[in-house]
Order: sequence, then structure tokens, then C-alpha cells
Amino acid sequence: MARTEQQSNDRFNGKWFWRYASPAAFYPVAGTIEKLCWFLAISLTIVGLYIGFFRAPTDATQGEVYRVIYIHVPAAWMAMVIYLAMAFWCAIGLAFGTRLSFMMSHALAPTGAIMAAISLWTGALWGRPTWGTYWVWDARLTSTLILFFLYVGYIALAAAFDDKKKGDRASALIALIGAVNVPIIYFSVQWWNTLHQGASVRPGGSSMATIMLTAMMIMAFAFWAYCIAVAMNRLRTQIIERERSAAWIQSSVRK
Amino acid sequence: MSLRVAAQAVFRREITLFARRRSDWANPLMFFLIVTSIFPFAVGSESERLRLIGIGVLFVGALLAAMLALPRLFDEDAKDGSLEHLLTSPEPLAVLILARVAAISLALALPLALATPAFALFYALPSEVASILALTVVLAVPTLILIGAIASALLVAARGGAILTAVLVLPLTIPTLIFGAGAALKVLSGESPAAELALQAAYFLFALALCPLAAAAALRISTD
Repeated sequence: MARTEQQSNDRFNGKWFWRYASPAAFYPVAGTIEKLCWFLAISLTIVGLYIGFFRAPTDATQGEVYRVIYIHVPAAWMAMVIYLAMAFWCAIGLAFGTRLSFMMSHALAPTGAIMAAISLWTGALWGRPTWGTYWVWDARLTSTLILFFLYVGYIALAAAFDDKKKGDRASALIALIGAVNVPIIYFSVQWWNTLHQGASVRPGGSSMATIMLTAMMIMAFAFWAYCIAVAMNRLRTQIIERERSAAWIQSSVRK
Repeated sequence: MSLRVAAQAVFRREITLFARRRSDWANPLMFFLIVTSIFPFAVGSESERLRLIGIGVLFVGALLAAMLALPRLFDEDAKDGSLEHLLTSPEPLAVLILARVAAISLALALPLALATPAFALFYALPSEVASILALTVVLAVPTLILIGAIASALLVAARGGAILTAVLVLPLTIPTLIFGAGAALKVLSGESPAAELALQAAYFLFALALCPLAAAAALRISTD
């Protein structure tokens, strides 16, 4: 059985990070992180897109279309990273019974799903002029699609419980099972892909120009900042919603 | 010793229920028959074309048919209270769930696998393909039931279970789908299906090792 937050606090008494397992303590910290990340996200996006769209040269083989990578690649990375982060917080929540961990993974899930959707959508828009088709059953496309399904399953399951605590732990279990299965699904899809069709055109198979890489990395950091900012925003909303009867909310939020 | 007795009792109870309520295994079989027979209306009746899609249609049809039985896993017991007995038993819950999954898998996989070669005739598949397809269905249905046990254990306490089961379970059955149908495709093109069968069996064993434990944890969560 999971320990309660109070028991965890008693047991790990004196460790600073346990203090921030309390929604009340983390609420203002989340606000600061959110503001900082919004600033980073906006400024990095402006710089990254400026370099990507106006400074980076046209690609020799793909023309202007390649510029979708400044959105596409960071979104695809974030879709994967967020799933890992989500599963991590789910594991922490199940192990220590910290309710903030579950809120954290609930806050991450919609952003992760949106990132998966963005990477699929921009990939399709890129695929049409480059591969001549919106969709191929390429290993990476297929596993991103399955990742999207895993996000949807998690979100739907969490929403299906009237008892929030039950929904927290049930969806956490499903997220962990998904995390265990992701590598298996990935490798089996790769296996299936090599059986059914020849290798498709690999973007970025040739080495990238430094300036393109720079713009892409800046955009990757912008996406990180954006995702953290949105997750923190959603986390704060969840804290207010769930802890609305707590005294500290009454005094600090409702002003 | 008493663990064996308890597991046997759970197993025997499920088998008895299946024997007395034949619709529990006959309905999935009918579903399988109907799904596999409506596809030709949509794609046309040339045997060349049917042979191409037959393996996929039969395999997915068998999986969907088995999925119909998933709500049966814990829902009824939660309603009539016998789930409480399972939960309060001193024996490890995972073993009891495994016994129940074994019974349900047996009662579903056997009829579906036996029907597969017959339904393969609709799709003009050669008999050696049909028999390997039956074998892969035997491996795939228990894998699906094992994964489904987790989902239906979680959904005992949730709203809108049936559709959610599909959303949660089907993505996780993709490996068994790939390897199972892949084995049959290999036989169709005259090659050895050994590698695919081994991988499909590996995924089944992986599910066998982990899913009962996860389902037990899930059941504890949802009935907490």
C-alpha cells in the first residue's frame, strides 16, 4: 500500500525536496518556474525561428520544405521525453503516495499528446512534398502514433474515475505499463517495417549544416521551456482545483 | 498446497461457468465469423485480393472477438460480490488472477483457433497458412487476455469501461499482431516462420510474467 504524504514527510524528515512534495509549498515555486519558462520559450522561439527561417540556407536536396524540422524535430523529442517524465512521476507517486506527483503527470500528459500530434502533423506536411505522400508506415511515424494512443489512453483513464485518488493511481499504473512496452513496441514496429517495405528516405541522413543544427537546438530548448511552462500552468490549476477547500488556498489564491 | 487448491478452484469455477453459459464463448465465435465474412463485401471477391488481406482480417478479427470477453473478467464478479472473496483470500492475488486468465484463455483461444482454418477458406488461404494462423491465434488470445486483465481490473471502478478497454489494450497488442500475422505471411511466401513465432512466444511469456502482478496491483487500486 502506498504511504501517505504525511508518513513520507515524517520518514524523510529534514530533506528539503520533501517539503516541495506539498502542493502548498510547491504552488508559488511552480509560478516562478512558469514565468521564467514563458520568458525563455518566447525569446528562444524568436531567436530560433529567425535563424531557422532567415539565416539558415535553403537545403540542397529538399528546398525550403526542410524548414519544418525546426518545429517537427523538437516536437517529436518532447513527445518522447514527456512520456518518460510522466512515467517517472507516476512511479514516484505510486511509491511514496505524494499527490503532487500525480498532479504533475496529469499536467504533463496533454502537452505530451499535443507534441505527438504536432510531430505527426508536421511530419505529414513535410512528407507530402518530400516523399510524395502524407503518410508512410515508417517505424518512427508508427511508433509516434502508438505513443499518441498511449497518451490518449492515460488521459481517458484518468478522466474515467469519479474518485480522483483512484484515477491517479490507476492511470499511473497504465503509464508505467506503457513505459515498459514502448521499447518493445518500437523494436517490433521496426522489425515489421523492414519486412513490408524498403528503407524510406531518411531525413538528415547526410550531415546537417551547423547553422541549421544551431537553429534546431535553440528551438529544442524553446520547446522544453514551453512544455515546462504549460505543465506548470496546468499544475497550478490542478492544485487550485483539488485543494480548493484547504485554508492556504483560501488565503493566498483568492485575493 | 492450499495455493494449488485455491488456484484450481478458481480455474474450475471459470470453466464451469463457460460450460454452463455457452454464449460466453459462442458469442465471440459468432462475432469472429461475422466480422471475417463481411470484409469481402467491402473489398471485392477476387481470390488474389482476398488472399492478400485474409491473414490480417482473420488475425484482427480473432483479437477483437477475444476482446469482447474482457469485461467478463472482473465486472460481473464486482457486481455480485464474489470479487471480494478473491481479494480477501490469503493466497497471492496474482496467482488467482493467473488461474482465471488461464481458464478464460482456454475457453476463448481454443474455439477461435479451431475456427480460424475454417474461416481461412473464405480468403482462399492455403491450408499450411491456415494452420500456422491457428497456432498464432492460440498465442495471441492469451496475450490479449493477460494485457486485458490489467485494463479490466482498473476499469472495475471506472465509467465507460468497454470503449476504454479497447483504447488501453489494443496498442499494447501490436507486437503480438506484428509477429503473429508476420509468421503467417512468411508461410504464405514460402519461408520459415520460426523467427516470428519465437518472438511472438517471447512477448506472450513476457506478458505471462508481468501481467498477473500488474493486474493484481490494478485490482487493489480500483477496489481500494
